[in-house]
Amino acid sequence: MTQVLLVDDHPMIAAALEMLLRESDYRLLGRARTVAEANRQISKLKPDLVLLDVNLPDGSGLDVLRKLSRSRSRPRVILLTAGMDEAQLLGAADLDPEGMVLKTSDPELLMQCMDTVVAGRSWVDSEIAERTRQAEAKAASAPPLTRRERELVELVRQGLRNRDIAAELGVTEGTVKVYLHAIFDKFHVENRTELALRAAELIDR
Amino acid sequence: MIARRSSPGFGRAANERTGQAHKADLCGRADGDFVLACAGSDHLASRLSTAFSPDFTLTCVGVRLALLGGTVLKTLKLPQGLFKYQSGRVIALGRVMLATMYLLALALGRSEPERVTAATYALLFLYVAAAVGIAAATWRNWWLDARLAIPMHGVDMAVFTAIVFSTNGSTSPFFLFFLLPLLSAAIRWGWKETALTATSLIALFLIAGVLVADRGSFELERFVIRSGHLIILSLLLIWFGIHQRLSRIFLTLADYDSGLDQEENPLHRALGFVVQACNAGGGALMMAPTGEEACEGFSTGPTGLRAFSLERPIAHDEAYSVFLYDLARDRAVTRLLEARFHFVPASRMLAVEEALGLGAREGLVTEVRTGTHQGWLVLWAIPDLSTDFIDLGRELGRVAGAILDRHALLEAIETGAAARARLSLARDVHDNIVQFLAGATFRVEAIKRAATAGAKVGPELDELKRLLVEEQGEIRGFLLALRRDRELELADAVAELRALAERLSQQWSVDCRISTEGEKASIPIRLQLDLQQMLREAVANAVRHGGANRVDVGLAVERDRLQLRFADNGSGFRETTGKDLAEPWSLKERVERAHGSIRLVSEPGSTNIIISLPLAGAAA
Repeated sequence: MTQVLLVDDHPMIAAALEMLLRESDYRLLGRARTVAEANRQISKLKPDLVLLDVNLPDGSGLDVLRKLSRSRSRPRVILLTAGMDEAQLLGAADLDPEGMVLKTSDPELLMQCMDTVVAGRSWVDSEIAERTRQAEAKAASAPPLTRRERELVELVRQGLRNRDIAAELGVTEGTVKVYLHAIFDKFHVENRTELALRAAELIDR
Repeated sequence: MIARRSSPGFGRAANERTGQAHKADLCGRADGDFVLACAGSDHLASRLSTAFSPDFTLTCVGVRLALLGGTVLKTLKLPQGLFKYQSGRVIALGRVMLATMYLLALALGRSEPERVTAATYALLFLYVAAAVGIAAATWRNWWLDARLAIPMHGVDMAVFTAIVFSTNGSTSPFFLFFLLPLLSAAIRWGWKETALTATSLIALFLIAGVLVADRGSFELERFVIRSGHLIILSLLLIWFGIHQRLSRIFLTLADYDSGLDQEENPLHRALGFVVQACNAGGGALMMAPTGEEACEGFSTGPTGLRAFSLERPIAHDEAYSVFLYDLARDRAVTRLLEARFHFVPASRMLAVEEALGLGAREGLVTEVRTGTHQGWLVLWAIPDLSTDFIDLGRELGRVAGAILDRHALLEAIETGAAARARLSLARDVHDNIVQFLAGATFRVEAIKRAATAGAKVGPELDELKRLLVEEQGEIRGFLLALRRDRELELADAVAELRALAERLSQQWSVDCRISTEGEKASIPIRLQLDLQQMLREAVANAVRHGGANRVDVGLAVERDRLQLRFADNGSGFRETTGKDLAEPWSLKERVERAHGSIRLVSEPGSTNIIISLPLAGAAA
């Protein structure tokens, strides 16, 4: 029997999944509501499969996945989401989870996905796959970084604050903000952390 | 002696625009020859404020006479605006009074000219006649005033030299005359012209001094003192000339800050303000996006407000940014900052047909620029149009641009707030309705599978039905809130919260009560939705994390804030495995989005969450 951990903060989803898995080959070990709780429960309960929501109260489910992908042995992960924006889709594609399912799809698809993933293959909802392809095409067609933007991304990657970046580049803090937001828009990045994570990819384009 | 107005008077001169008169502060005397008055006052001060820094006013005897004349005229209930924006008039009137006074002084024999008596009398007679003629001719003729400004300036300096030279040289009682050209230059032009005038006057005075130095009446000490006066005063006026160019403010922000109505067309608003500011009979303001020619505009006049559009800008490309014009005589005058007047045919500056179409035969044209648009402001039927309106026009153009920019900014803020509100609502819909429906679908699938396997599904179906009915109520409340006006009474909001508290009590098996205190208030719809969501989250947290069976909710309005307090009898806000106090994440996030603050006081046996939310800022 496959041991499952659910990471989702919505009580309705949790109750429904608990019922859905009741008469199946899966056993629900427990439920985590936040990123911190998820990290703790995964190390403690060592599930075979994690059903992971993307939007959690204290952060992103992708952070949980990112941490897991760095560990040597990790459980299989299915992203269970009510919707992701372009940045999340690209982030998720990079982390390559075993499965991705939309909560709004037919629940049968979740069971199908779980079975496929447990069998060692990957399963991605067709809508998510299509939207990821579109997001990747859009990102690829985005103009390359200018010299100034490249410098700025590099400094963000080094963890410098706006004030320090401004001093480094000899511009005002306001100018740094304008540049940063232009880069966010250009590459569909939500914040500087995400920009720092994608820095290598952006600089090497 | 020159007396400087004390600092509390700073900016009072700027208030002259409003017509308030201040009494003269001080008259100082220096060696019996001239008086410099520091006056804060009357309509003349507003004129002088165009020449000097607003916190300084400086007058000489001649101008002081004009001031007295102005006071007399005011006493006689003559129009307040007789000298407002009329430096040409002040100078012309000062010249007449000064020349007449000297002629009288000579005639009374107190200062008999030393040399060429007949020629001196003739010169003064001619000068008085010319001064009166010029004053009369330029009184209502800005064109002539501008045309004659430089020639008369030269005449003033020549007459000063001649009169001083012919009446006892350095000891001449008419030494004071030098102030007229010096002040005229400072009032009319910038510091460069004042400096040029001062240099010429000092040179002329020194030459006259050298020429009479060998005569018995020459007094070296007085000559040196007077030369010193001339130099110091010249330096001061040059400094004032530089300073006033930097600090000249005809209109302050406060003048158009009040009563800015978001609903009113900004063009209409800006036009109304500038027309009123210069008391124009009519005006038009037309703007086009930067780089484009076709513009939209509003005109106002006796027939009322009219919207219009033009294919091309009303002023030609090579036009100056501000100028006075007279279409009937095809003439226009302008000047660049700190430069002399430039005279050009009006038809070269202005689209004549369009201007005539507006009924703007004679008036003022000034450029208006905003962050995104550029255009022209035309004002006509301005009573007593004078060359001072060139500078005033420049300021009016800036004010009109500032009003338009300000409106655009407010609109952008409003749009941004609406966009944020939409995003926030979308998030609510996603968090609640979409997630609920997804959960319900999963549940249906689970029930279907259970039924297929032969299990009893009656209780599960009943539970699902109850949840669906509850959610239906939630959605109905949500949609009702969206349909309402922007605000609702706090009492109505509380009634809805009580209904929600009742449902939550059943759902979570707790006793949830709501109490209120404080004044009546209206709250934004956004805040009402936030309150409902906060109540849901607070009750869920109390039960989930603290195992509470009672939640007391207190609502109070204190000034412009809504104080919300959740108190439960749970075991405190601690995580099951950790020792640290757990943050109510989603609640905290929601409070921050509503620009509020949240405080958590948690101890075994009770948890208090104190939230403070702004009543006004929550719409964003």
